[in-house]
Amino acid sequence: MEHVLEVRSLVHRYGERVALDGVDLTVDPGEIVALLGPNGAGKTTLVRNVIGLVRGESGAVRVAGGDPKDARIRRRMGVVQQSVGFPRSLTVGEIVIGAAARKGKSAAEARSAITEMGLTGLEGRRAAKLSGGQQQRLQLAMGLVSDPILLVLDEPTEGLDVEARRRFWATIQSRRADGAGVLVTTHLVEEAASIADRVVVLDEGRIVAVGTPDELRRRLPGRRVEAWTTIPIEEIRSLDGVRSAARRGERTVITTTDSETVVRALLDLDPGARDLTVATATLEDALVAITHHEEMVS
Amino acid sequence: MNSRIFRYEVRDELLAIVREPAALFFTVLMPVAFFALFAAMFGGEGGFGAGSLATYGAFAALSVVMMNPGISFADSRERGWLRVKRADGTPLSVTILAKVVAALPYAVFTLAGVTAVAWATAGPLDVLQVVRIVGVLVIGALPFTLFSLAVGAKLSPSTSSAVLNAILIPSVIMSGLWFPLELLPSWLGKVAGFMPPYHLAQLAVAQVEGGTIWSHVGFLAATAIVGAAVAVMAYRSADV
Repeated sequence: MEHVLEVRSLVHRYGERVALDGVDLTVDPGEIVALLGPNGAGKTTLVRNVIGLVRGESGAVRVAGGDPKDARIRRRMGVVQQSVGFPRSLTVGEIVIGAAARKGKSAAEARSAITEMGLTGLEGRRAAKLSGGQQQRLQLAMGLVSDPILLVLDEPTEGLDVEARRRFWATIQSRRADGAGVLVTTHLVEEAASIADRVVVLDEGRIVAVGTPDELRRRLPGRRVEAWTTIPIEEIRSLDGVRSAARRGERTVITTTDSETVVRALLDLDPGARDLTVATATLEDALVAITHHEEMVS
Repeated sequence: MNSRIFRYEVRDELLAIVREPAALFFTVLMPVAFFALFAAMFGGEGGFGAGSLATYGAFAALSVVMMNPGISFADSRERGWLRVKRADGTPLSVTILAKVVAALPYAVFTLAGVTAVAWATAGPLDVLQVVRIVGVLVIGALPFTLFSLAVGAKLSPSTSSAVLNAILIPSVIMSGLWFPLELLPSWLGKVAGFMPPYHLAQLAVAQVEGGTIWSHVGFLAATAIVGAAVAVMAYRSADV
């Protein structure tokens, strides 16, 4: 089966700084791949390469076997980008119909994308006046109008409430069922885990982990120990069985393969340690342990 | 396919003018008000006639096509809207050409205002002559839009505004559009021959006084070609 997206050994530099350092990535038709990684990991640079806005200095990006710099290939992609400000003067209807024109689609197809994204009744409203959630849906409507074989979504649920988020993913999943491939970046790890077929973790321009959400969870520490303690963080990190340790406010969060040993050591070192909890580690804990970054923010 | 995209791009640009007419109004107001002021101060009995319409009109048209397109281009780019258009596969030439066409109403309204002032202060003008002057200035000014877009493709809206002013004002002075070249140092007169605004104004003046036009047309055509190349290179390498 031909990959709908294939990234091979992609290297991208900004001057001296290496943003992508030999990235390999594929997305198959009917597959949702979530791209996770801490701030500055290179996610947006990768997205910009995939949608043909920029080209890395070496390596290759192929979308449906073609070059994403080629306008014909771009028209087969649906894209939701971060921080897009709509023109003040245009309405929702005009913007989607304009997007349809750029993709070689009719006004009727634009209207059906508006309906699909639940924007009916807002066609005459100025896009810049919409709420954040409505603007995200508008961008997705622009993306869906091309009947894309590849959807590329950069932080698409930013600013959406729970209900809007649920509807958003329902739409994406129905497009997946129709055979579209989806590449999505998000910092909401559990959200990615619930919708992605595969999770790819990017850190400092390299792919550090790939797998289904369950596979990644299994590779993981297993337990998450939280406590209120005065033990220096470096000392905790050097304890047996500790995979990662970080301060979150007043609490210390530790991921470990052996929670019993860690708890015993904590109480030995700091008899005053309190508010101890032990829980099953989440996917986010796994990613923190893999990347050694405290938070998986975008 | 591209012609349909182009139509929608132009539609979007024109809707922006129609829906926010204040931008057009105040952009046009400035050069027209200055012309009225000059006419009142220096016009004397005869007012400012067709000759002034040609030279001052060249400045007025350039001041709108040099400033607005670049600043609004920089604004769309900073909003990320150009990134959306580019990701959709809109050809560079279509985006640029639509912006050039969008500058047309600005040039037309500005020249209409300047013409009205000339008419009011100097008495009835030869209609055919006015049409020829305005026609030459509108068409001749459009290529200058390309340089404005090149600046807007690279700089922020406020920096674009400052840089475009810094290009516009000296070049119109050196071209003799504000003060007659005879009043300026003689070396400036020699430089003027290399300034595109000089040729635009002279082409308009030739509609009144006659004389050769082809060297001016040739110079403006070369300006358009260079402008197109500069705009395409700037937009292609722009960080959208």
